[in-house]
Amino acid sequence: MRDHQREVTTTGVPPWKSPVALSVTLHLLILGIALAGWSWTSPVEEPSPRSISARLITQQEPEPSPVVDPVDQQKRDEERRAEEQRQREAAERQRQEEEARRIAEQKRQEEQKRLQQQKEQERQEAAAKEQEARKAREEEAARKKAEAEAKERARQKAEEEKRRQEEARRKAEEEKRRQEEQRKREEAERKRQEELARQEAERKREEAERKLREQQLEAQAEAAQRAREEEARRRQEAAAAKAREAQMLSESEKYQALIRERLSQAWYPPSSATEDMTARLQITLLPTGELSGVRLVSSSGNTAFDNSALGAVRSLSRYPIPNDRDTFERYFRQFTIEFNPRRLR
Amino acid sequence: MTHWIWYRPSRALLAAIALIFFVVSGARAELLIRITEGAGSAIPVAVVPFAESGQMPAGDKVGSIVQADLTMTGEFRTLPPEKMLSLPSRREEVYFRDWRLLGQRYVLVGALTRSGDRVQARYELFDVNREERILGETAAAPASNIRSLAHHISDKVYEAITGVPGAFSTKLAYVTLDTANGKPRYRLQVSDVDGKRARIRLESQEPILSPAWSPDGEKLAYVSFETGKPVIFVHELATGKRSKVADFPGLNSAPAWSDDGRSLLMTLSKDGSAEIYRMNLESRQLTKLTNHWAIDTEPTYDASGEGIFFTSDRSGGPQIYHMETPGAEPRRITFGSRYNARPRPDNDGEYVYYVHQRDRAFHIARTELKTGEETILTRTESDESPSVAPNGRMLIYATRQNGTNVLTVISADGGAAYSLPASEGDVREPAWGPLVR
Amino acid sequence: MNFSAQSKAFALLLSVGFVAGCSSTGGTSEEGGEYGSDVAAVDQEGGSTVYGGDDQDGVSSSAMTEEERMAAREQAEQQALREVTVFYFDFDTAEIKQEARDVLVAHARFLANNPGQNVRIEGHADERGTKEYNLALGERRANAVQRFLIVNGASRGQLETVSYGEEKPAVMGSSESAWAQNRRVELVFE
Repeated sequence: MRDHQREVTTTGVPPWKSPVALSVTLHLLILGIALAGWSWTSPVEEPSPRSISARLITQQEPEPSPVVDPVDQQKRDEERRAEEQRQREAAERQRQEEEARRIAEQKRQEEQKRLQQQKEQERQEAAAKEQEARKAREEEAARKKAEAEAKERARQKAEEEKRRQEEARRKAEEEKRRQEEQRKREEAERKRQEELARQEAERKREEAERKLREQQLEAQAEAAQRAREEEARRRQEAAAAKAREAQMLSESEKYQALIRERLSQAWYPPSSATEDMTARLQITLLPTGELSGVRLVSSSGNTAFDNSALGAVRSLSRYPIPNDRDTFERYFRQFTIEFNPRRLR
Repeated sequence: MTHWIWYRPSRALLAAIALIFFVVSGARAELLIRITEGAGSAIPVAVVPFAESGQMPAGDKVGSIVQADLTMTGEFRTLPPEKMLSLPSRREEVYFRDWRLLGQRYVLVGALTRSGDRVQARYELFDVNREERILGETAAAPASNIRSLAHHISDKVYEAITGVPGAFSTKLAYVTLDTANGKPRYRLQVSDVDGKRARIRLESQEPILSPAWSPDGEKLAYVSFETGKPVIFVHELATGKRSKVADFPGLNSAPAWSDDGRSLLMTLSKDGSAEIYRMNLESRQLTKLTNHWAIDTEPTYDASGEGIFFTSDRSGGPQIYHMETPGAEPRRITFGSRYNARPRPDNDGEYVYYVHQRDRAFHIARTELKTGEETILTRTESDESPSVAPNGRMLIYATRQNGTNVLTVISADGGAAYSLPASEGDVREPAWGPLVR
Repeated sequence: MNFSAQSKAFALLLSVGFVAGCSSTGGTSEEGGEYGSDVAAVDQEGGSTVYGGDDQDGVSSSAMTEEERMAAREQAEQQALREVTVFYFDFDTAEIKQEARDVLVAHARFLANNPGQNVRIEGHADERGTKEYNLALGERRANAVQRFLIVNGASRGQLETVSYGEEKPAVMGSSESAWAQNRRVELVFE
């Protein structure tokens, strides 16, 4: 930088026009503007309000707010008066107390004089008694020493005996403890072994059960398969049977088929009908083909189903019957119709 | 009682005696004709417009509501009144021969009487061929509630003919979508089974999914996106009060009620992948029921109330699975297609219904649980959200028709379809309410 | 437009640097002549001479080195890649396609370099099939993208996932093309 400055001066450019000075002043200007003009705080980011955009349709009434009472001016005055009274009473009390103290002091002083005289007399008496007492004490002291020595010997002997007895007890107790601990250990061992045995037994039982279940599931799957195969066989056989029937169709069978067809078209089984519902009706016809009588021989157990069967039978005004009177009498004078839905879906 | 069985003669012995008797008496064996197939079409029924005395409320007539109900099931074909030869209202006026000629199996007649603000209905149902009355009742309701009276009559008529209780007094819940002010508007609605008397329960600009009825019919659980993510709510219909029951990170979806109404099954993904949980609604305690990296969702209790059906793609694509007890090892139910989802079993434990892909179309299919046999029930091709009627005889689902989403009712075996008229926009997510006694 | 304190300081420094680069121009031509004589041989051993020169004050830096050129190109490429914020999937799968990987890597790097940047990952599915399964499928797709971004440098705290299932299609309609455009994950930068 120094070189730069030297360079500048030798070429004759005045110092305040130097590029450095200019740039510095410009910098200061900009800084000044920036500081003066711009705010240094960042705007507080308010989260966009997630207003609850749902509206309930029923209204609720708002609760009434409680009322507050203002302070009573009267009460303040009353309180002031009460205070003043208290103060007066307190001053009175103080005066009374001071008087009582003065009187009490006088009494105390008189009493003290009396007490002092009494004490002097007592001191003299006491001195005489003390001398007598000293003699008696010395004699007693000698007796007591002798007694004490004897007692001490006795105590020592007794203590020694106690110590011996206690030791014996301790030994006996310890022995008992050792024996008990042994018993406990042995019992614990027995229990552990029993538990192990039980757990083993349970494991074996569970395994056996699992195997049983597996076998049962397998058996079920097999049974289901067999059932399906049988169904297929049945259908095939039914188709074959129909073919046979068509070949061997006799007069009566033609009319049976006709009656079956007409009744099917006229039968509205209730939608709740199930495959195990069967209703049997006994029909009696007149030679004209008209219905003479219907009788519910065996109910399906469901009234709606029975009624649907009865309704179907009664809805045919004339039943198709063979012209041949003998065939009619033989097959169609009285016959049974059985209603039992089979779903074909 | 068991003792005298010892003295019953064996069957073989009885047969021998019978045979001897026949031989002796010379009687012929009686002809037996077996009928194993029915007409396979809807039962013809004539609903005669009811006689009226007094001012009847405006709106649909009781007779036409009953007619529409019976037709919806797919099991009945009703006779248009203009084809009727007479309009009886009681037995004395019914000429069975006329109805026979018209090919009708049953005829319903009745009379309505207005007294004060109540309407009384006296009605009778006749079997035309047997010429017998099989149902007769008097029922009454407030005039403002005449639709419920009509549905009650439909329930009784249906039960008298088929032996199965009718489901016409049940409710439907569903979601509609249209636009308001350029924004989407989702509405959760509850209506009668024929789509009438719809009432809006929740309105939102964000999606609402999977409404589910509590077993007592008083609450709906559903999934709402109103907070920006899927959250499960339980909504009390009578009061409009609702509580947020599941708002965990990730998914909160597919709610399904237990039989006692005390817990909900649900799909949560808070632990990583979509799994099925059970939540006790009182204690809000969760029990995790599946534990697999795959998607496990769309849970529902089976007919026993203990086992659970659900959708899982653990085998590569979504299939229906069943757990005997909650948390047990699941058993796969569907096999024939690469996409089977959203199981809905009937209340008898006979069938489970679900969405099934065949070629490029999505149909509703059902599997017979005893045999595993699968049947496709619909011919429409973009089907979703099947829901079984509580009597198991009908099914409602959502599908596309002419560019809009509509609800369609079919009989449970797939015959006959009946589209519910859609009043506004798009309808989806139907849920069939329970039978309420 | 709102700027953070960071970017303001950065801009200030840039302008300072820029101004520093082009200070007064007066006297350059005269200095040029003197410069020539000032360049001194630094090493005079042997026969070789190495010319060391001071930084050429007064020359505007419009000529870039090869390194700088490559860096600028890469940055432009990465920026172009990051223009893509929607990723598509095949039916009933959450597998990220090959062509999406480079773009996602670019996003991941950007997120790694800008820890203050958050992104919401929204998963979707087409309308076919059931709504609840599609909700879970959408989530699976969003999670796959999330995992990919984390593996490539983004941190978990920057990422939020949500699934809309089939409820918010990008394209209405029931054609193959509409379905293909709805099986997607969208990145929404916040």
